[in-house]
Amino acid sequence: MKYSLGEFEEIVMLTVAVLYEQAYGVSIKEEIESRLNRKVSIGAMRTALSRLEQKGYLESEFGEATAMRGGKRKRYFKVTPLGKKALKEVMDTRTQLWQAIPSIALDFNFSH
Amino acid sequence: MKGMMEKWDNPPRLVTAFLRWFCKSELLEDVEGDLTELFLQRSRESKRIASLEYFRDVLLLFRPGIIKNLTFNYSIIHSGMIKNYFKSAYRNLIKYKGFSTINILSLSIGMAACLVVFLFVQDEQSFDANHQNNIYRLCEVQNFPGTNTQKVALSMPGMAPTMTQEFPEIETYTRYWGWGRQLVERPDKKIIVEHVAGVDSTFFDVFDFKLTSGSPGSVLNAPFDAVVTKETAIKLFGSQDAIGETFVIQEDQYVVRGIMNDVPENSHLQFDMLLSIYSIGVERAEFDSRFGSNSLNTYFVLNKNADLSQMASKFPEYLTKYVQRDNDKINEYYKLFLQPLHAVHLSSSDIEHDYNNYRKFNGKYINVFLLVGVLSLIIATINFTNLTTARANTRSKEVGLRKAIGARRKNLIEQFILESLILSGFATFLAILIVYFSLPYLNALMERNFSLNPYLSDHTFQFSLLGISIFLGLIAGVYPSLYLSSFKPPLALKGFKSQGKKSYSRSALVIFQFCITLGMIVSSIIVAKQLLFMKNKDIGFSKEHIVLVPLNGEANESYAEMKLELLSKSNILGVSASGQRLGNNFHQWGFKVKMDTGVTRMTPSNVYVDYDFLEVYDIKIKEGRSFSKDYAQDNGLSFIINQSFANELGFESAVGKKVGHSWYPNDSLGTIIGVTEDFNFNSLHYKVNTLSMVIHEDWGFSEMSIKVNGENIPEALDQVERVYGQFVKEYPFEYEFLNDHFNELYQSDQQMGRVVTIITGLSIFIGCMGLFGLASISIQRRTKEIGIRKVLGASIQQLLVILSQDFALMILASAILATPVTYYFMQQWLEGFAYSVQINPLVFVFGGLVSLVIAMVTISFHTIKAANANPVHSLRDE
Repeated sequence: MKYSLGEFEEIVMLTVAVLYEQAYGVSIKEEIESRLNRKVSIGAMRTALSRLEQKGYLESEFGEATAMRGGKRKRYFKVTPLGKKALKEVMDTRTQLWQAIPSIALDFNFSH
Repeated sequence: MKGMMEKWDNPPRLVTAFLRWFCKSELLEDVEGDLTELFLQRSRESKRIASLEYFRDVLLLFRPGIIKNLTFNYSIIHSGMIKNYFKSAYRNLIKYKGFSTINILSLSIGMAACLVVFLFVQDEQSFDANHQNNIYRLCEVQNFPGTNTQKVALSMPGMAPTMTQEFPEIETYTRYWGWGRQLVERPDKKIIVEHVAGVDSTFFDVFDFKLTSGSPGSVLNAPFDAVVTKETAIKLFGSQDAIGETFVIQEDQYVVRGIMNDVPENSHLQFDMLLSIYSIGVERAEFDSRFGSNSLNTYFVLNKNADLSQMASKFPEYLTKYVQRDNDKINEYYKLFLQPLHAVHLSSSDIEHDYNNYRKFNGKYINVFLLVGVLSLIIATINFTNLTTARANTRSKEVGLRKAIGARRKNLIEQFILESLILSGFATFLAILIVYFSLPYLNALMERNFSLNPYLSDHTFQFSLLGISIFLGLIAGVYPSLYLSSFKPPLALKGFKSQGKKSYSRSALVIFQFCITLGMIVSSIIVAKQLLFMKNKDIGFSKEHIVLVPLNGEANESYAEMKLELLSKSNILGVSASGQRLGNNFHQWGFKVKMDTGVTRMTPSNVYVDYDFLEVYDIKIKEGRSFSKDYAQDNGLSFIINQSFANELGFESAVGKKVGHSWYPNDSLGTIIGVTEDFNFNSLHYKVNTLSMVIHEDWGFSEMSIKVNGENIPEALDQVERVYGQFVKEYPFEYEFLNDHFNELYQSDQQMGRVVTIITGLSIFIGCMGLFGLASISIQRRTKEIGIRKVLGASIQQLLVILSQDFALMILASAILATPVTYYFMQQWLEGFAYSVQINPLVFVFGGLVSLVIAMVTISFHTIKAANANPVHSLRDE
């Protein structure tokens, strides 16, 4: 596989894409928590974001600062074209695998 | 911007500082912003939880990828130094195993003691905590003529409904009428249910007991409705699915309308079955306006903005309006007050007739526990500080070298504080292990059933423990680190031989430590003496070898025959019966006395008894005679009173005076036939109240008292059971020893005594460990001096005195300081008993001697060794 992408990383990237221009730390965390119904720690998410940025899948820039954030600026994330390729490849691989499954293998009915 | 910010709370600053310290600078800004945003969001619900979560998030951020890059120049040194700190801490621990053990062990024992106290306090405070917080219990202060003033937990049936009408602050009420044990009949079986109570239909609105089936609002609406606990349902019907089933109590048929969860251990109300309060022979309208006798507990739910003092000011008016009894005297006799539900368990020790208050505990003892727990921890912390500074010599070279290489004072402080944090962390871990493994034994000793498990998985507990451990590490480490890091390098490198001058701060700490230990020793002696005193005090009657057997239904009817049969048995020395049991305050009824000026009303305690009650209990008659079957009037018209009542009446001789129950007409009163010496029918917390005894053959007794042969108790019990079985078919045989009942009265005191003793023992142990360590250091420092003295002809005895006198002086000083404080506290405690021991000043001398001996024995290991050492060895090298 050309692009390496972990399961959590994939979720984070997809969420960044979903949020489009509103993707920053807290909103990404809350989006994942509400959509996937799982707890996300700032620590885990922030390391994933940094890693993805290093790989060149995400880019970021500072946004506005608010009092609500103790005067600290937000960092908005965006999926890069390379990131989009990586996501697409992951999806394609999965689709191929799904299609390759013989129809009988997942045909669980309990009559026999 | 700044102005706006001040409106919000800030996240904990220390945690933020930590984050800023480790976080990569390029990530810091937005991460900190995110965390602040989350914190503000969360703190809308609870600031405390938000802080905890903030702390957790920061801890979770402490991971590779977020932590500053270590390839930077200055960072390498930093992390390297930290590694080195750990290494030297480890080496020091291993090199001086003895000291490390003393340090860690004493700290962990202190912490373990605190943990146990915490479990105890937590358990006591959890009582009734799950109910809404605006429930109040209606109590009375009764001040009748001819009896002691008393607080009473009971109230009248009519009070709840009428007060709810009168006071808009009252939202709803429920009454709780304990009916005790009842025989419950089913077609196929008969079972005794221990705790049955009659309550109002609002019971489940007031209290948060969970129904598993049936609807809370309607389960007890109609007479003969019943709610049973799961356990009772299974006992009676074989399954929890018992809605609509019926059963019979005292010939009335009841229908099960609801099943509820079993009542938890930490509830002051304990019951197995609730019945509609209007069930047994009660007519609704009459009952709801019945005044006069106080028979049940009343609970109110007040609305949120009720003003208690304003309500209290209107109680007298209410009493005049509704509870007319001697009209204008009502407010002299009665004062109402509302007791908050959370106070019922812990603040009712001065309230009497408190029958529905399971495991009532004296809340003042909670503070005592907390105090001794914290004190033991202080002793342990002092050990730590003392030993570390005393051992400064051993580290002086290291300090000098580090400084010479370029360590700044700040670095050294960091190092020593880190070391102390490591030790305290270790001690915390050990403390948990100690508690975990000793808990089964402690449970048996304290008669509790504590478990550490629910706490270990609780985040608040984990964080508090972590916090305490860090706090202790800092406290214990701060002074030593300041002290050690202050050494001047040249001096320190030279080895910094004993400077000769004593450390005053260290002596002060040791004195303080021994003050605490000594105070604890003396206190536990006084507590033990008081407990022993209560156990052995001549209470005016004999409570040994008395077996109590309840007389229910048919047992009551056949009492006379049963008694005859029992008395024919070899091991049974006497049989009597009474309406109430000794060991409580007896019910107070109205009483009439014919004075020269006319008939006066009084309200002494009353009990009706069998003819030979005084003989069986060995109660001494001072004047007049005892009850006798030879006199016909002894059934109902003869009264025997106690000395207190006779004093209250004020006659020169009370015998022969005309008296009677309040319902006797003035022209047909009975006579006082005898006066007994005072005996303590109530617990020793209370003064002997005025008492009148009488016989009413036709009233039926509630309990039989059987005096058995103390040398052959099993056989005697067997005989009693067999006789009982001959006469009583319906009620199974049950018995209790009167002595056990009396022990229960002092359970709170006993448990307090045990906990104080345990912790005193631990504190002595911790203090000794510290002393042992200190002695070894100070004597090591004097080896040369001892050598020279010995060469010059000092005897071993002289050397022992010289070596011990410093310590002896410190203990003397602490004895002098500890005495007044301890005396004050113990005097306060003893005032809670109407009958108490005097504090003998010799106790302090004794306590001082005990700690002196313990201290001398502890250090003797070192002093004897040093005194016997061959001077050649100590003087050889220089």
